[in-house]
Amino acid sequence: MAVVVSESSARRYALDPDVRLMLEVRDDNAAAFEELVLRYQGRLVSVLDHLVGNRDRAEDLAQEVFLRLYRARKSYQPTAKFATWLFTIANHAAANALRNESRRREVTLPSRDSGPMGARPLDRMIQASSGAMPARQLDKAEVREVVRMALDALSERQRLAVLLNKFEGMCYADIAAVMEMSPQAVKSLLSRARCNLREVLEPYFENGDRPAPGNGASDED
Amino acid sequence: MSEQPAQIDTALQEQLVAYLDGELDAEASRRIEELLTTDAKVRATMQELDHTWQLLDELDTGGVDERFTRSTLEMVAVAAADEVEQTRAAAPRRRRLRWLAIAVGATAAGLAGFAATAMFWPDPDKKTNERLVENLPVLENLDQYCQVENVEFLRMLQQERLFAEEADDGK
Repeated sequence: MAVVVSESSARRYALDPDVRLMLEVRDDNAAAFEELVLRYQGRLVSVLDHLVGNRDRAEDLAQEVFLRLYRARKSYQPTAKFATWLFTIANHAAANALRNESRRREVTLPSRDSGPMGARPLDRMIQASSGAMPARQLDKAEVREVVRMALDALSERQRLAVLLNKFEGMCYADIAAVMEMSPQAVKSLLSRARCNLREVLEPYFENGDRPAPGNGASDED
Repeated sequence: MSEQPAQIDTALQEQLVAYLDGELDAEASRRIEELLTTDAKVRATMQELDHTWQLLDELDTGGVDERFTRSTLEMVAVAAADEVEQTRAAAPRRRRLRWLAIAVGATAAGLAGFAATAMFWPDPDKKTNERLVENLPVLENLDQYCQVENVEFLRMLQQERLFAEEADDGK
């Protein structure tokens, strides 16, 4: 389906250097495509890794995203910043992968009670980790692990919003475009996500307190 | 034990987060800043929200290795080659279809033109032609009729059926 782009919006987005690269990809410039891959591969794999919880799958999905991007090049229109467009494709790819994964798990492991991400229940994760740190001497790897647990405990949508905001530096409007929701809904989503992270991480880092069951693990959006 | 995190209402919490994210306009930012100077509970909440946000910097956001880049580009190169191959394979068929479409279109246009001409532009000589066909037997024997110069004589010959066979042939 052809997308109609107003002249002013096309001009605005053409200022984005990555949009300009993508327009060159549309004209079959292979070097421009390679440049985009180099610019985005690490960021894309990182976000997908946090979304699907598995590095290998994240890399497979990132390659799928780049392939989709290449195949869609001829119909590309600069209707948004390049990063917004790329992460919208990534969001769909991850959502499809998680849906398929969820269906498979329903068939093979009907009794498992974790969320659709397959994340371990928060209290079990924290319990496993906190048992080895009586003096709160947290080394860097451990901090990373605990923060990752807290992030994994968020719902998928909260996690994606956090990743796009924190690591891609996206504003609410761009996150809204990627996640196909309103900026006001993104504002609420991020607020709940940050509140959940605070409720899990603050007591944990201050005193090693195990959070009360359910804290920070809300799946409601 | 640490104190319970400061409890503030949801709307204010959303505003605090939006403030930290730089998403508030000047007026809303000013109101939050005022609140931060006067309300210790709000200030504590803000600090905790900010602190936990900073902790996310600890997450591993490591890049990918060269192998990933190479395999991605190879995968796309294979896709591009397939695309070129498919386009090339489809080209003769497409060309044949285009010529067939042109031929069908030209024939249809010719037929339509003929039908339209016949319908809207009747042949002015049609009546003349019909009369010529009607009188074809006379025309065929006109030279002989001219030699006789008498219709009564011809009628008499017909009645006597001297040339019946030829007259039947002429009809």
